[in-house]
Amino acid sequence: MRTIYLDNNATTAVAPEVREAMEAYFAAEYFNPSSAYDRASPAAQAIKRGRETLAHFLGGVDPSEILFTSCATESLNTALYGAVRANPGRRHVVTTAVEHPAVYEVCKDLARSGLEVTFLPVDRAGNLDLRTFIQALRPDTLIAAVMHANNETGVIFPVGQLARVTKDTDPAILFLTDATQTAGKLPLDLRGSLAHVDLLAFSGHKLHAPKGVGALFVRRGTPIRPFMIGGHQEGGRRAGTENVPYIAALTRAVELAQTDHEAVETRVRHLRDRLEAGLLAGIPCVEVNGQGAPRIPNTCNLAVHFIEGEGMLYQLNEHGICASSGSACTSGSLEPSHVLRAMQVPFTAVHGSIRLSLGRYNTDEDVDRMLEVFPRIVANLRRLSPYWDPAHERPRPEAEAMMQGTAQ
Amino acid sequence: MAWEYSARTKEIFMDAVHGKPGTHMGEIEQPDGIGEHGSITCGDALRFTFRVRRHATDPLQDVITEARYLTFGCTSAIASSEALCTLIQQGTYTPIGALQITNRDIVEYLGGLPDQKIHCSVMGAEALEAAVFNWAQKRGVDLSALGIDMHAEEKEEGRLVCQCFGLTEPYLKRKIRELGLKTIAEITGAIKAGGACMSCHHKPGGLRDLLNEVWGAQPLTLKILPTPPEPREAAAADRPPFSPYQFNKQVEKALDQYVRPMLAKDGGGVEIIDIKDTVIYCRLVGACSGCGGAGMTLKLMVERSLKEMVDDRIRIIAV
Repeated sequence: MRTIYLDNNATTAVAPEVREAMEAYFAAEYFNPSSAYDRASPAAQAIKRGRETLAHFLGGVDPSEILFTSCATESLNTALYGAVRANPGRRHVVTTAVEHPAVYEVCKDLARSGLEVTFLPVDRAGNLDLRTFIQALRPDTLIAAVMHANNETGVIFPVGQLARVTKDTDPAILFLTDATQTAGKLPLDLRGSLAHVDLLAFSGHKLHAPKGVGALFVRRGTPIRPFMIGGHQEGGRRAGTENVPYIAALTRAVELAQTDHEAVETRVRHLRDRLEAGLLAGIPCVEVNGQGAPRIPNTCNLAVHFIEGEGMLYQLNEHGICASSGSACTSGSLEPSHVLRAMQVPFTAVHGSIRLSLGRYNTDEDVDRMLEVFPRIVANLRRLSPYWDPAHERPRPEAEAMMQGTAQ
Repeated sequence: MAWEYSARTKEIFMDAVHGKPGTHMGEIEQPDGIGEHGSITCGDALRFTFRVRRHATDPLQDVITEARYLTFGCTSAIASSEALCTLIQQGTYTPIGALQITNRDIVEYLGGLPDQKIHCSVMGAEALEAAVFNWAQKRGVDLSALGIDMHAEEKEEGRLVCQCFGLTEPYLKRKIRELGLKTIAEITGAIKAGGACMSCHHKPGGLRDLLNEVWGAQPLTLKILPTPPEPREAAAADRPPFSPYQFNKQVEKALDQYVRPMLAKDGGGVEIIDIKDTVIYCRLVGACSGCGGAGMTLKLMVERSLKEMVDDRIRIIAV
């Protein structure tokens, strides 16, 4: 059975070009890039070229402003803890209620260690309110951490504008953005629209590099302390022998994204829109989470009322279709997604969310197949649901009244 | 988290969702017993109904002939519901006799369940109990006279321990004993308690204390940290020494009398987003917003005017 992969926000397939680019550094070019002899020079060159490529990718920043890390989570931990340690006089952090755990949980940890953290709410569509953001900034605010696009819903935050307002208010407040879901999908112009962002993190495996490599942009002059010490690598800002093959892989992945991202995104957007419209038309009592907000073009997060997400995923799995859900049963916790709860998704649907995230290798066939099987899968589960009237394809009257209530 | 279900659980789930003959999805109309457990808010809910062949004179000799379920929940919740109905119909049970079926029987029938999914089988057993209670009411059977305690009172009464799932101390203690739960993880796996916000794990009167009460204090193997404080809401920022209300009034007055008429000449206007201390966040609206010099216009013209007319500490930030 052919695998239909609709979970590109979780990870992406390694591109063949990327695999090819990294192979030499597992074989003949195994040397430590810090070594003095000539044979180590190709490894050192690969890192230098990678730094230049990423600097260009981010709008023509200086290569010294790029750090290679092991993943976006490391980049984000480095930025947040590093900023706190370098700025002991400031004890307040602004972030959002819908950040990825790599920011959300770190901020909760900072709160436990005595800092004050403001978690900004979002509205029903997933948007931040500019005025609420402005009001949250304080004289003792150290850093504002706002993701570029949400990993669950794909909703885009206006980080360029938020960063500018932050810097105009107080240039000493740092601005961090998690661009994991936008790198390779939206332009990241750190000399243009994102010129006021100090710190930007992303990982390789969301843009067809392997898992285990990420990057952190640190604007020159930004006060942060290193997270990993014990070596001179990355200018002493991230110690540890460089992961040369994976850096070469990330470099190639970024080049691919630069070459054809517009064509790919146009095609992906078309597939996503067709998929979304087809599912909305074919299934009653379904909503798009993030409807009405600006969204990245590959993500479709649906709230399916009156059924639970895991049963949908399991049946999709039987068809070879990979997707994910924000339901409690698919996470380690018994609580559904913090993102959907922050968006006040009605409690009749918060356990029934499903995220379909497309990528460059998806086809029209994949969409056709999903449109064919998913309405049946939903109908199967609704037949079993105590809240659904399958004879009339609608909620039971007492259940319909619950559809406005939110899970808190 | 990849699935760790047994082949049997998967098969039962797929048969159920496809409505294979012999499966028990559905709801009996005018049932002899109906029981519900869980809620849509908690993530799973089961409505269990059964019909009996009524004995002419002695309700205790009623025999269950049909059992059906409707379930909102995950793969294992649906498979557990199906297992419960199958177990009941396979045997020849009186409603009282059916109470012998426990969550362990359901787990065994499913060929095992992952630890964190045990609560699905408990949900089945709980709904069965509730349905038998309902049958007893309808048939005028006095369960307490038979020595059967249906614990109907303990969910409403008693101190609430797990706020997230609404579980009380008497209920938790009974379940800890009945199901032989020895750790907090086992409690969460079996009945969900402590599985969401986790604040009831180690606070006084929380799950750890209940375990100690039931089983005796356990030697500590890990240093238990106190529950971390929740992040506080941001306190209001320092206010300027004058009344913010008066200040805002003066800004608005200056804008109306001088700045807005000036901008209006070019078909534009200015919208205040927020005023914090002496910092004014605003946006140009109308014709000005498309103008390349918008930022400069605001900065120079608006700021200078307001400094002169209201307060020289005023700073303008264009958003």
